[in-house]
Order: sequence, then C-alpha cells, then structure tokens
Amino acid sequence: MLVTGIKSKPVYAPLQADTGGRYHLMLGSGVGAAPLLRVIAEMRSAAVPSLQYTQVLYAPDGGAAEAADDQSGATAAVAGFRAAALGGVRTFRGTPALLGEFRSTLERSLMGTRLYVAGPESFIGLAMKIALEFNLNKDEIRAEECGTLARRVYCIHCRATTEQVRTNIVSCVGCARWLLVRDHYSRRLAAYMGVMVDAEAPGELPPLKQVFL
Amino acid sequence: MSDAQTIAVEVVGIEQVTPLIKHFKLAPLAGGDLPVFSGGSHIIVVMPGADRVHKNPYSLLGSPQQLDTYEIGVRRMEESRGGSHYMHDRVAIGSRLEIAHPVNLFGLDKIARKHVLIAGGIGITPMLAQLEDLHGGGVPYELHYSVRSAEHAAFLQRLRRREGARLHMYYDSEGQTIGFESLLATQPLGTHVYVCGPTGMIDHVIATARSCGWPGSHVHWEQFSAPPVGDAFEVFLARARISVHVPPDRSLLESIEAAGVEVPYLCRGGVCGFCHTRVLELDGDLLHNDHFLSAAEQARGNSIMPCVSRAHCKRLVLDL
Repeated sequence: MLVTGIKSKPVYAPLQADTGGRYHLMLGSGVGAAPLLRVIAEMRSAAVPSLQYTQVLYAPDGGAAEAADDQSGATAAVAGFRAAALGGVRTFRGTPALLGEFRSTLERSLMGTRLYVAGPESFIGLAMKIALEFNLNKDEIRAEECGTLARRVYCIHCRATTEQVRTNIVSCVGCARWLLVRDHYSRRLAAYMGVMVDAEAPGELPPLKQVFL
Repeated sequence: MSDAQTIAVEVVGIEQVTPLIKHFKLAPLAGGDLPVFSGGSHIIVVMPGADRVHKNPYSLLGSPQQLDTYEIGVRRMEESRGGSHYMHDRVAIGSRLEIAHPVNLFGLDKIARKHVLIAGGIGITPMLAQLEDLHGGGVPYELHYSVRSAEHAAFLQRLRRREGARLHMYYDSEGQTIGFESLLATQPLGTHVYVCGPTGMIDHVIATARSCGWPGSHVHWEQFSAPPVGDAFEVFLARARISVHVPPDRSLLESIEAAGVEVPYLCRGGVCGFCHTRVLELDGDLLHNDHFLSAAEQARGNSIMPCVSRAHCKRLVLDL
C-alpha cells in the first residue's frame, strides 16, 4: 500500500505577486497572513495599480487548534491589511464563513483575477475545490502552505471526511474503521484518501504516530 | 501520418457562399460514416495537382453529429501556391479526393463557464462546428463575427437562424470593429476566448486578453499558415543520407516528401508541432514561419518546422 511518493500530493510554492493579473483576490487563514502581507509589499514596490484592485478575505482563527496561542499575531496581521489601502479587507470567524464569501466573490469576479491562498493545507484544499468549480486554472492560482499539516481524510469505504487528522492512522468519524492516511490526494474532494488499514488482518494496527503536525 | 491512412471521398456538394468562399461536401467512397470528430477539428485534403500533390488543412464546419459527409469552406487565396485554386477551379461534383483523419488542435475547453468566439472572415469555419458542440450544452456563449461586407459574410443565414441574439456581426464596410478591450475586460471568471481569423486579429485578441489580465490557459486561437514562397536552397538529410533541392514555390516538407522521406505531421500549417525537426548544421539563417515555437526557440536556431519554414543558406543539415 503506497503511502508516499504519490504524484497527486499537492506541491506548493512561496507566493509571489502576479502583476499580469488585473484583480487580486487573497484568502488567508491564521498564520497565512504573513505570505499575503509579503505579496502586498511586493505589489507596492512593483508600483503597478494592483493594491486598489486587491481584496483580502482572512480568517484569523485559521486552524482552530493554533488560534489560542497566536491571537496577537492575527490582530497585527489584520492591522497590516487595513493599513495597505487595499480594495477591501474582510475578516471571518472560521473557515466555512470565509469560504461562503469566497464563493459569492467568485460569482461576481471577472476574467483577469488572480487568486492567492495562504494557510494550512486543508484550508488551501477547500479553497482550491471552489476555485476549480469556477474553472480557475493553474496559471490563475497561487498557494503557499503554512500552519498545521493536519489533513482532511476521506474514507473510501463510507465516504465520510474526518477533519484535522494528525496521525498516520485514524478512526473514521463515519464508520469507525481504522484508516491508513495515504498521500493520494483528490482535488475534487479536497481530501487525502483513507483506506482500511486492518482489512487483511483484523485488529492488527500499526503503531499510532503523530505525523501531520 | 502518411497517405496510407487517408480516406477516399467524393465531392457531393459545392456552393459558392461568398465571392471568395466555396463550401464543399465530401462523402466517403466506401459509404457509411466518416470518423467521429469534435468542433474545431481540421482535415488535410490531398489534391492531385498536375505538377504536384497539394495537401492543405481545412477546418470541418459541419455538425459533429452528422458523419455521412464532411463539410469544409475554402477561401480562394490571392497568392495561392495552388491548393485553394485547385479546390475552386478543378474540383466539381463527383471529383474524388483523399483526406486525412480529423485532428483537433482548436477544441473547446470542456469545463469552461462561458465561451466567447471571435471569427474574422474564413475563420468562421471551425467555429461553425464548435457552435454545434455548444448547442444545448447549457454553457453560455457568444459569437463575434467580423467580415469585410455583407456579401462576404459566409454562412450568415445559418448563423442567424441558429444563434439568434448570441451572434454579433461587424462589417468593415460600415466601419464596425469588435471592441476587444470592452469585450474582454467584462467577462465572468471561467470564460474562455477563441479566435480564428487574420493574423492581425489574432495578435490583437492575444495582446488585449493579456492586458486585461487573462492567463494564457483561457486564450485559444488557430491559424493555418500557407507555406510562403522563398528562395531555393539545398538541404541534406543526415539519416537518409540524401541531398534535397527545395524550389521557391515548394515547402521544405513537400520537398522532403517528394524525395521519398516521410516526416510526421498533423496540420501542415505551422500549428501542431508534429513536424518539429532538429537542425544539425546551418551556414545561414532559418526563416521561421510557424506559430508553434516560442520566439526564444526560434532564435536558438537548432530546430525548424519544415511545413511552413524555410532557410536562407548554402547548407542545411536536418536530423531526418
């Protein structure tokens, strides 16, 4: 059962401003504010009229687990966005609220828009899933991974998705089977595939390890 | 592709649709259906001319649902090397021709949220078939069709009937031009633009799309170049170990084929990249006329598209 070395595992790169775009839509979660602020600084030094056409949607609480110890960083980030004279800055409590607004923003958006996503991989995945529905291609999207590596895991047996998975194996929230978390990633589901780990030898589980921190 | 894979067809319909464009219907000699194709596909028509065989690419303009005949539109080119004049002057009902299987280098994006089609003159032909693919698909689209004047508006009745308000006509004679900037600056996310027409129009659409922030993956275009006439030159084929003379009015690809060496191709118009050939030696300049190699690749001078490009040199050695 191949776990690593699978090509569908997404690869991310540090965000860079794409001044070829006319409009810029930025999504951030938690510590994802830092890469976005870096791109904003890059746009300012490029001296193209990008900032007034830039919108930021930001969820300071990001991955819930890290919210408690990084409250001050998030507050500073929001202040940084507000100081940048952007076209718009909106903050959200939690990823679902942000993604809801993201969807309605895409409904109104025009060709020429570039998308920048920064945050934990699960956040990027959920944003990409929506972007895909709007036919945004690779050359319109940039994503930088930062924060927790916790995964969304899709159970290939019962089709439930278990959130915030940090371990090599996990008990499925839907059917309680022990699932092996593979590197096989679905962009459509925004989740890694989980397959029953003890199907051949019931009850024989590998040691539980924290691997996606 | 080689001639062994061609399909024998008979011309079963000819209509002069504008002063310059003839519409041909081709039926398979063997009966039955022709191969399935999708909107935007072209075929190569092989014409047995008196002094040489012409092989020209023409877009299929009929419905992909209807396979008992293929339909093509041929514009009579002023500076024809013979192909379009052959089709216009020598081909009659009952004439037999060979065609190659359809190839699509100009397909619609399957998951686009909207399609904007822009045609100039004969560039309408691939779009007629693309429109057939769009009918009933539920994805919004619009067609912007620019022609010299009303008499040059090929297939206009058919378009009016089928497309209604989705058709936007522009007549040069009335001073009407497509406002590319306002058109491309206001399209919803997930739109794809397709352009087929004169070089100037294609270049204009590509440049305007870029300045409006469109990424390359949403901009599609097709233009088959006819191989331009040029100075004669000699080419040596390194693997075949033969020397071939390329006369002024014959393309490099045609000359190589006439010498009995086969080169793979799909379009013969500088678009598909199949005939891409390595240059091993050159004592002059390559005259690139293709749309496939980037400017940087053309400048490197170590490869050539023999279907449309030539050389200005004393000695050219190709890896063939």
